Amino acid sequence: MKTFLIVLIYLVFAPLVGGLLYGLDRIITARMQSRVGPPVWQSFFDFSKLLQKENLVVRRSQNLYIFFYLVFIIFTGTLFFTGGDILLVIFAFTLAGIFFVLGGYKTSSPYAFVGAERELIQIMSYEPMIIFTAIGIYMITRSFYIRDIVAYSKPLIYVLPGIFLGFVCILPLKFRKSPFDLSTSHHGHQEIVKGITTEFSGPALAMLELAHWYETVFLLGFVYLFFSHHILTAIAVALLVYFFVILVDNTFARVKWQVLIKSLWLVAIIFGLGNIIVLSLLKK
Amino acid sequence: MFANIIPFLILFPLAIAAILAFVSEDKVRSALVKVSAAIIAAGSLWLLLGGFGHVAGYFSADSEIISKIILVLEFLVSGYLLYISFKSRKPIAIFLVLAQLAAVVYLEFLSGQAVVAENNLFFDKFSVIMALIIGIIGGLISIFSLGYMKEFHQHHPEVVDRSKLYFVTVFVFLSAMFGIIFSNNLLWMYFFWEITTLCSFLLIGYTRTKEAIANAFLALKINLFGGLCFIIGIIILVKTSQIVEVDKLLSLSKSLVLLPVVLISLAGMTKSAQMPFSNWLLGAMVAPTPVSALLHSSTMVKAGVYVILRFAAVFQDTRAGLMVALIGGLTFLIASLIAISQNNAKRVLAYSTVANLGLVVLCAGIGTYEAVWAGILLIIFHAISKALLFLCVGVVEQKIGSRDIEDMSGLIVSMPKVAAMMLIGMAGMFLAPFGMLISKWAVLKALVDANPVLAALVVFGSSATLFFWVKWMGKLIMVINPRIGLEEGMEKKQFFVLAVLSGMTVGMCLLWPLVSGALIEPYVITIYGKTMTMDRGNLIIMFIMLGLVALFPLSFINYGKRVKVVDPYLGGANASSHTTFKDSFGNSRILEMKNYYMPGYFGEKRMLFLAAALSAACIVGMLSFALIR
Amino acid sequence: MPIKKSPWLLHYDASSCNGCDIEVLACLTPLYDVERFGIINTGNPKHADILLITGSINEQNRPVVRNLYHQMPDPKVVVAVGICATSGGIFADCYNVIGGVDKLLPVDVYVFGCAARPESIIDGVVKALDCLQEKQDKRRQVIAKIKDVQVEQATIADAQEILEVQKLSYRSEAEIYNDYSLAPLIQTYQELMDDFKKQIFLKITVEGQIIGSVRGYESEGTCYISRLFTHPSFHNFGLGSKLINAIEQTFPKSKKFEVFTWHQSKRNIYFYQTNGYKTTKTVKVSDQISNVYLEKPGQDAAHYL
Repeated sequence: MKTFLIVLIYLVFAPLVGGLLYGLDRIITARMQSRVGPPVWQSFFDFSKLLQKENLVVRRSQNLYIFFYLVFIIFTGTLFFTGGDILLVIFAFTLAGIFFVLGGYKTSSPYAFVGAERELIQIMSYEPMIIFTAIGIYMITRSFYIRDIVAYSKPLIYVLPGIFLGFVCILPLKFRKSPFDLSTSHHGHQEIVKGITTEFSGPALAMLELAHWYETVFLLGFVYLFFSHHILTAIAVALLVYFFVILVDNTFARVKWQVLIKSLWLVAIIFGLGNIIVLSLLKK
Repeated sequence: MFANIIPFLILFPLAIAAILAFVSEDKVRSALVKVSAAIIAAGSLWLLLGGFGHVAGYFSADSEIISKIILVLEFLVSGYLLYISFKSRKPIAIFLVLAQLAAVVYLEFLSGQAVVAENNLFFDKFSVIMALIIGIIGGLISIFSLGYMKEFHQHHPEVVDRSKLYFVTVFVFLSAMFGIIFSNNLLWMYFFWEITTLCSFLLIGYTRTKEAIANAFLALKINLFGGLCFIIGIIILVKTSQIVEVDKLLSLSKSLVLLPVVLISLAGMTKSAQMPFSNWLLGAMVAPTPVSALLHSSTMVKAGVYVILRFAAVFQDTRAGLMVALIGGLTFLIASLIAISQNNAKRVLAYSTVANLGLVVLCAGIGTYEAVWAGILLIIFHAISKALLFLCVGVVEQKIGSRDIEDMSGLIVSMPKVAAMMLIGMAGMFLAPFGMLISKWAVLKALVDANPVLAALVVFGSSATLFFWVKWMGKLIMVINPRIGLEEGMEKKQFFVLAVLSGMTVGMCLLWPLVSGALIEPYVITIYGKTMTMDRGNLIIMFIMLGLVALFPLSFINYGKRVKVVDPYLGGANASSHTTFKDSFGNSRILEMKNYYMPGYFGEKRMLFLAAALSAACIVGMLSFALIR
Repeated sequence: MPIKKSPWLLHYDASSCNGCDIEVLACLTPLYDVERFGIINTGNPKHADILLITGSINEQNRPVVRNLYHQMPDPKVVVAVGICATSGGIFADCYNVIGGVDKLLPVDVYVFGCAARPESIIDGVVKALDCLQEKQDKRRQVIAKIKDVQVEQATIADAQEILEVQKLSYRSEAEIYNDYSLAPLIQTYQELMDDFKKQIFLKITVEGQIIGSVRGYESEGTCYISRLFTHPSFHNFGLGSKLINAIEQTFPKSKKFEVFTWHQSKRNIYFYQTNGYKTTKTVKVSDQISNVYLEKPGQDAAHYL
């Protein structure tokens, strides 16, 4: 019963929170650029407009991939918030990402193709760090279950500072912000037009937006895990991290994929693996 | 008696091979192969069903006579190898054969100790799993070969048709594989091991081209070196402990048996193409594709990791074991990285095979009960998916005339059924909720408990595998000017085999808990007293995921109605056709998109050098640690 | 929620001197900040609602602008920014300049100026938003009613409108073959009137607007069906099938029905095939085009077998 309630709350409120966060993102970015910015509900206006547009495709089946991307993002979030196995959560998350990439390939368009290749490179770059996060957390809490992790007696941040730092480093990538927003050329950058999302329109784009909101809430939930012993602190940190990502987005330019892989793998090794090595040495 | 199934499984394929040596008629051969494959598969299933009550069974078999026969055969095989190495002027091979012969002679005649085994043959749950793989997958591949070889010779009239030799060798090989997994007597296992080396040599060199012969000898040399390590390991074991059986070995203290186990594991590493021995497997890709599927991904190389995994308990908590795990992990990481830079489909599959075998070796080196559980799961899933992929690539190669991934663009329209099965195979290699993902989950769990730092190798490697598989999948589904109707004329036999393997890939995702409960977990319990499994909650989640993924192909039944098809965005330069654009001279050009291969970063030369250096260091470490103890 | 709250732009420089383009980009800067209205400059027609064109149309950018326009999903509006986009400006007499954007596309808002000031541009875009909202509302109304439309016989009073929709609908065919002199596109009003005397015309109307038509006549037992078209904004609603069924029922005694289309019009061929037609012959009419003829036996044919 409780599980059902959590799932329901997640399904209904996560997109609302996600959309608001996106609106906030645009306002903060605008203020940083001495502009006024759109109203905070702008994401929802965008979403409803997209739903009303005609559905143009290049290949008839391309939108199916996006639909399943959405389904699996929702599945990932549901699994996460109902306290499931963190490794399975990560694998489901990767599965969702792969549906997205395959959708990009399916559109058979050059810009989408480059976007899809870059998206794959992005996945390859962040995956080590996120699995190190799971491993590091396990080494402390001795359980892969999120319900156990949340209920753990001591705050994780004190023993997993490296992992937390590494995780924050990959967040710009997952939120599609500079310096790591190679695959969709989001918001104004048009280097590869819209990258992997180039050939999607109307309802498909709306699904992508929705998936993005769910994903945002899910990732901030991950940040929450590190401070789970005190709810308000955790939420505050999550919002702070989000603000930090926006700040980084407005300050840095996009990097090339070579720099992307090298830097994120380096981050994974130094912060992620480093933290793990320290922990395993301490245990002995 | 039930136990007769074991000598039956070893001798029946041999008998069929003998009969096939005299059959030249296509139809007769075809019928014989089909029936034999079915019988062998049935035999493996009989073993599974009949052996349910037994945890394990040991049989003495008439050791005296058989051992003598084995000795004679060994001399014959060595003689043939010497002759052929002499003819082709391969001094290293000659040296290795002679060295092996010397070792065998030393052990049999001069060592002064009677090498008598109590039980020569045995089976337990692990052997049953291997038998099923060999029987079912081996059988399917043999049937596939019938259609494949016929078309192969049509396309390659310059290659002498030695199909007879091909099928004889395949059945001899199957017999030898059963021999390996059922042998309790290490000398018998060594003999069957050498037979597989011989079969591999013959099959790689099938086309008799310069390249094929060179690669066959490379494989021969490396596997002979492994065989040499094997026999030296046996000699040391006999000298120090006076036993020659696997079960007795496992009951002795670690420090006593570590060195022989390490040497035999070294043999296993050469057989399963771990770094720095991976070159032979890559070279073996010149062989006809069913050979690659059978020997070099599903069965023979599995024998290598099977042996190492059998001795996993010995490796637990030893530094030598850590070295073994490192070799496996490094192989996994580096082979996965190299696969990114390969655009030849068979080479990608080969490197992926090497990588996954590395994962199994990693599990064996760790040696905990969790690791062994994960390792066996890996073997099962990999055997099925890889066989499927190799066979699909074989069909595709014959239809489109190329092994290049870049030529497989739009295959989902050119050859929809085969492309769909390829996608299933690829999904089975790395995607949740398919098999390999479950195994990877298990490996990670095993590693975090035993040695979290090693997890780094798995983690980086698995990101790399994701990259090259999805790249390939994308190439298959994207559609630019495809040719259509390439699938027509595909033999029913081939399609049947591919369909069965696809069904098994998907079916295994549902049935693996049963397999685990019936076979893997009991085996692990007998060795360690406890086992690992996936708890019900997670199982349900995996099944939900599988259900959701299954909805995907179903959604293709009724789709794309409320959409409007337009051209892709090409900066407005779209020309008359969907996939052309006007260049700056006003000419129409067709779109071309090629994958990223990043040879500068993940090129073979650079990576293999790194791999060779690191793994050689680990081997030295492994041997040193074994000697010290 | 109203569609005008989230307008995404596609900004295209047709042959502008970049003066108007700089002013357009200035709108994005903090001084004018059009993002307040939710406006985003996407570079991708498939994501855009508003096509903002500067500069005039010439031979080189005509196909490009057409491609971009057709790759935008409905509802969409076109804003011509600057005097060059409106009428050709000071370059109107140049040999390569065809004229303003309205020579090619239906323009909704004209913004004058050389260069147009950001305030004018923003005003123009805001007006365009109202046009956008209007189009969307109309489109919704039509879509809501479309399931219940009936096929009726057309009268000579409909001829003008039928001709307009015909030319609009066959544009996409012209684009496939890059031949804008295809018969349906150059048919004159007089020729259509003559057709009315010889053939039966059917039409589909929704909200007073004709969105589809077909015509046919019978000769020696064969019914020749031609010029079956539906308005490009209303494809995939089953209107084509309704039209073809209706015209077939208008000639119940025909032994067979014959249609023709062009060899690369794969969607048309597919459409006819799903409605029971089979390809009979292909006849080359020029280097670029061949006619593909399809036939379907009439209901009475069964009686003759």
